[in-house]
Amino acid sequence: MSKTKVIQDNNKKGVLPTPSLFGLLGKYKSIIALLVVLTVVANELSISVPKIISRAIDTYTSGNFSITTLVIEFSVIAFFIFVFTYLQNIVQVYASEKVARDVRNEIATKISVQPYSYIEKVTPAKLLTNLTSDVDAIKVFVSMAVSSVISSVFLIVGVSVLLLITDWKLALIVLSITPFIGVVFFFVFRKVRKLFKRAQEAIDWLNKVIGESILGSALIRLLNSESYESKKFLEANTEAKTISFEILRLFSSLIPVINFFTNLATLAIVLLGGHYVITGAMSLGNFTAFNSYLAILIFPILILGFISNLIAQAQASYERILQILNAPMEKKDGGIKKVLQGDIEVKNIMLNFGEKSALRGISFSVKAGSKTAIIGPTAAGKTQLLYLLTGLLEPTSGKIFFDGRNINEYSKESLHSQVGFVFQDSVMFNLSLRENIAFSNTVKDEYIEKAIKTAELEDYINTLPNKLDTVVSERGTSLSGGQKQRIMLARALALNPKILLLDDFTARVDANTERKILNNIAKNYPQLTLVSVTQKISSIESYGQIILLMEGELLAKGKHEELLNSSPEYVQIFQSQRSTNQYELKDEN
Amino acid sequence: MKINIMDYSLTKTDLEKEKQKGVLSTAWRRLVPLMAEEKRSVIISITAILVSSAVSLIVPIVIAHIVDKYITSKNFQGVLSFSGILAVIFVVGLVSNYLQIVTMGGVGRRLLFNLRNKIFGKLQELPVAFFNQNKTGDIISRINNDTDKLNQFFSQALMQFLSNIILIVGTGIFIVFLNFKLGLVALLPAGIALFLTKLLNPWVKRVSLRSLRTLGSMSGEIQESINNFKVIVAFNRLDYFRNKFREANELNYRASVSSGIASNIFNPIYVLSSSLAQLAVLAYGIHLIDQNQFTVGLLIGFLLYVNNFYSPLRQLASVWPSLQLALAGLDRISEVLTLESNIKTRFKKTKKTFSSSKAVIQFKDVSFTYEGGKDALKNVSFSLEEGKTYALVGPTGGGKTTTASLMARLYDPSHGTVYLEGKDIRFYEPSERVKKIGFILQDPFLFNGTVRENILYGNEAFKEYKKGKLTQMLEEAHLTKLLSRFPQGLDTQIVSSGDSISLGQKQLIAFIRAVLRNPDILILDEATANIDTVTEQLLEEIINKLPKKTTKVIIAHRLNTIENADDIFFINGGEVVHAGSMKNAMDMLLQGERKS
Repeated sequence: MSKTKVIQDNNKKGVLPTPSLFGLLGKYKSIIALLVVLTVVANELSISVPKIISRAIDTYTSGNFSITTLVIEFSVIAFFIFVFTYLQNIVQVYASEKVARDVRNEIATKISVQPYSYIEKVTPAKLLTNLTSDVDAIKVFVSMAVSSVISSVFLIVGVSVLLLITDWKLALIVLSITPFIGVVFFFVFRKVRKLFKRAQEAIDWLNKVIGESILGSALIRLLNSESYESKKFLEANTEAKTISFEILRLFSSLIPVINFFTNLATLAIVLLGGHYVITGAMSLGNFTAFNSYLAILIFPILILGFISNLIAQAQASYERILQILNAPMEKKDGGIKKVLQGDIEVKNIMLNFGEKSALRGISFSVKAGSKTAIIGPTAAGKTQLLYLLTGLLEPTSGKIFFDGRNINEYSKESLHSQVGFVFQDSVMFNLSLRENIAFSNTVKDEYIEKAIKTAELEDYINTLPNKLDTVVSERGTSLSGGQKQRIMLARALALNPKILLLDDFTARVDANTERKILNNIAKNYPQLTLVSVTQKISSIESYGQIILLMEGELLAKGKHEELLNSSPEYVQIFQSQRSTNQYELKDEN
Repeated sequence: MKINIMDYSLTKTDLEKEKQKGVLSTAWRRLVPLMAEEKRSVIISITAILVSSAVSLIVPIVIAHIVDKYITSKNFQGVLSFSGILAVIFVVGLVSNYLQIVTMGGVGRRLLFNLRNKIFGKLQELPVAFFNQNKTGDIISRINNDTDKLNQFFSQALMQFLSNIILIVGTGIFIVFLNFKLGLVALLPAGIALFLTKLLNPWVKRVSLRSLRTLGSMSGEIQESINNFKVIVAFNRLDYFRNKFREANELNYRASVSSGIASNIFNPIYVLSSSLAQLAVLAYGIHLIDQNQFTVGLLIGFLLYVNNFYSPLRQLASVWPSLQLALAGLDRISEVLTLESNIKTRFKKTKKTFSSSKAVIQFKDVSFTYEGGKDALKNVSFSLEEGKTYALVGPTGGGKTTTASLMARLYDPSHGTVYLEGKDIRFYEPSERVKKIGFILQDPFLFNGTVRENILYGNEAFKEYKKGKLTQMLEEAHLTKLLSRFPQGLDTQIVSSGDSISLGQKQLIAFIRAVLRNPDILILDEATANIDTVTEQLLEEIINKLPKKTTKVIIAHRLNTIENADDIFFINGGEVVHAGSMKNAMDMLLQGERKS
C-alpha cells in the first residue's frame, strides 16, 4: 500500500523537481567550457571587423593610412574567425553527439536490466521514441542552445550597455520594445507548444499507419485494401497538414510583428533622435551608432525566442527519458547459482493483468526428469503459465519452487541458462544461423551440434551455401514456419538445459518430423525435465502428467488413462482428435 | 512467357547513388517539378520577398536622406513628414513579410503533404516481394525519418532558402551596377566559396548518407532487441544485445560526428569569404578613391551592401545541411518511388489468356524462382475443381506456401500460367480476384483496434452494418461461438504487438475475417496451427457449412484436418504430386523426408 502511494506521489507534478537539462551538462564540464570559450572568442572576433573597417576609413581620411597594416590586420583576424568558428562548430557537434550517445547507452543499459513485464508495460514503441526522437531533441539542445544562448546574452547585454552609455533616455525608449517582443513570444510559443504536441501525435499516427501497412502488407494485398489503407493515411496526413498550417499561421504573424516592433524603434530613433540632434542634445555620430546597434540588438532576441522553444522541447524529452532512467529497479537478484535437478513445484498461483485474471489457483508439481504436458483451449492461460516458470512474468500471488527453493532465490542468469524455452511465435534475429542458435554466452560447440541434430536441422543447414554462417533475415522471411520453429528449439537445446519448456512447439512441424524430434530429445537429453504446452494428445499419452487448463483454471491433472476416466473435458478433446490417432497408429505399423 | 524477377532490395542501390551532381542542380531538378502545381503561390511569395527585400534596401537610403537633408539642416518638419513615409514603408514591409511567410510556408507544407501521399501510394502499389526483400525496420525508418527530414526542410528551411537566394541575386546585381569593377571584386570571394562548396559537396554528401544509414541500422537494432525482449531475457543475452547496441550506437556516433564536421565546414568558409570580400572592397575602393574614381561616402555604402550580399549567403550556408539532409532523404525516397510493381493487371489478351479447363484453379507448367535464385517450384501442373477440399502436404520448406501464394497472386510465376476459373489470374482486376479468394496467412496480422474492426477489415460489403445486422451475419456464418472466446466480444481491444493476445486468438480472428467474406476459394495456410483441437473441430464444422461451391485448400500438419480432404497433393523439392489417398500421402511424407 505505502509503496504504491509513494509512486503515485512521485508521479504528481512538482513533488519531485525534475532535474534541469543544464544539469545533464554537468558531466561534460570541460567540453562545455571549451565550447563557451570558443563561442565568446568567435563572437568577439566577429564584432571587431566593423571596428577595423571604420578605423581604416578614419585613418584614410586623416591621411596616415597604410595598406599593408590593413591587409595584415584584416587577414589575421579573418583567419582566426575562420578557425574559431569552425572549431566552435566542431566542438558543438562533438559535444552534442557525445551527450546523445551517452544518454542512449544509459537508457539501453537501464532497459536491459528491467524485467520483461516492464518492457510490455512501457511498450516497445515508446522506448523506441525515447531512444530516437527524445535523444535527438537533447542533441539539438546541446548543439544549438548552449552556444546560441551564450552569444545572444553576450550581444544583448553588451549592446544594451553601449546604448545606455551613449544616451540613456533614447536607450530606454529603444529597449522598451524588448518586453513587447517578449510578450508576443510568450503568447505565441505557449500556443505553439500545444500545437507541437498535437503535431507529434499526428506524426505518431502517420507512423502507425505506415508501420501497420508494412507489417500487414501481405494481408492488405490479399484483401485488395490498398486504397483503404491510403484513405487511412490520407486522414492522418490531412490532420498533420492542418496542424502544420495552424503552426504556420502563428509563425507567419510572429516574425512580421516582431520586425514591425523593431521598425517602430527605428522610427523612434529617427523622430526623437532627430529631435535631439536638432536641439543639439545628441551628436550625429551617436545617432548613426544607435541605428546600427538596434540592428545588432534584435537578432539575438529572436534567437533567444526560438532557442527557448528548443529548450522546452528538449526539457520535455529529458523528462520522458528520466522516467525510464529513474524507474524503480527489479527486485534484487536471488543470487543462488546451482545445478538444477529439475523438480518444479507450483503453489496456488494467481496471475492478473489489471482487472483481468489470467490464472487462478494453479498448483501442481513436476518431478525431475519427467514429462508433463499442459493442454487446453485457446486463451486458457497456458503460455502465461510457462512465462511464470521462466520468470518472465511474476505471479500476482502464489509461489514457484525449483528443487524446493523459491524461484526468486536463484540468480536469474543461472536459472535462464538451465531452463530452455521454445516460444510459440518464432523470433528470428538478423544474425547468422549460428548466432541465432548459440544464443547464450556459455554455449559450447558440441552443444550446438547436438542441438542441431536433435532439432533435425542438419539436412537443411547442409543445403545452405554458407551453412551455419547464413544470415537469417529479419522476421525470418526466408525460412518456412517449421524451419523457424526448429531453429527456436535448437536455440533452447543449445543451452543444454535441465528443464525444457515447449510452447505449442509441434504446431508448425509435420507429424513425422515431430516424432523424430521428440525421439531425439528423449535419446540425447535423457535427464531432461520436459514441460510441454500442446494441442495434440497423441504425442503426450505416455507423459507422466497431463495438466488440463481452461479459462485460467486447472480442471484436471493426471496420466492420460486417469484423465480419460475422470475428466469429461479431456475426453472431449480426446474425441476431437481420435481420427488422428488412428492414422498415427496405422502409420507406425 | 518469361517474367523478369524484380530486385526490390533497397540497400544495394544506396551506395551507387553517392556520385551525384551539384546540390543546387539536384535541388533544382527535384524541387522544381514538385512545385509545378504551386505556381500561383510561388509567384505571390516571390513578389512578397522582392517587396520586403526592397523595403530593407530602401530604409537605409531614406534614413540617410533624412539625416543629410533635414537633421543636419535642423528641419524637424521634414523629419516628421519623412518619418510618415518611413511608417508607410514599414507597414508595407509588415504586409509583404507576412505574405511571404504565409504563402511560402503553405507551399512547403502542401508539397510535403503530396509527397507523403505519393510515397504511401507507392508503398501500397508494391508487391509482397518488396516487403520480403527489405528489412521492415529499414523501410519504416526510410519512410518515417526521411519524410521527417523533408518535413523540417519544407516547413522551415525552404522559405529561408528561397528568400536568401533572391536577396543574394538582387544585391549581387545591384552592386555590380553600382560600380562594375568594385562589384566584381566584391563577388569574387563568393565565387571561390561556391567553388569550394562544389568541391567539398560530394564528401559532405557521402558522410551524411553514411550517418543516415548508421542511424537506420541503429534503430533497426533497437527495434529488433526491444520487440524480442522476452527471448533476449529468457536466453540471458542482455549483455550481448547491450554490446551490439553499444556498437551500433558508437558507429552512429562516429558517422554523425564526421557528418557534422563535414557539413559544418560551409559556415566558416562563407564567413571567411565575407571577410575577404570586405577587405578586398576596402583596399580596392581606397585605391579607386586615390584615382578619384570613387568617394568615401560611396565606399561606406558599398561596404553595407557587401554585408547585405554576404549575410544571406552565410544564412544559406547554415540552411545547407538541412538542404543536404532533405535531398539525401529525397534520394532515398525516390528510390522507392522509382520501383515498379511487377504484379500488374494485364489487359492485352491472347489465346493463352484462357484455358479450356473448367477447373477453379489450374497451374500450367508453373515454375517459381525467388529473388536470389532459389527454385521453389519446377514446372508444376495441376488443377482444382469447384466445391472440393484439397490438402497440401509435404515437409517444411517444400513449397506449400509458395504454391498457395501463387493461387492468390501474391507473386507471379517465373514461368507458366495460373488460371483462375479458366482465365489467366493476371488478367483479373484486383478487386475481382480478391472477392473470389480468401487466404488465411500463416502469420496472422492484426491491426490495433477492436475485434470488430479487424474482422471487418477489407470487407466493403459489411462495413456499414450496424451491430445487430452484423451479429446476424455472424450467426448465419456460424461464427458467433468463436467470438465468445473474446472477453468483450466484438468490442475487445487488440494491441497487435505484445502478448496481450495469443497466437491462437489471432488465428481465430483471421479465420473469422476470411470466412465472413464468403470467398469462392478459401486457402488456409497452417491457419489453425495454434488453435486447440476442440475449437478446431468447431472451425471444421464452420468450413463444412460453407456453400457447396466453395473450394477449400488446406495446408496443415495435423492429420485430422487433412483426412477429410477430397484430394491430397504432396509438395516437396519444387514438385507437386497427386497423392490420392491419405495412406499414400503418409508414405510419401516418410519417403520424401528420406529423399531430401
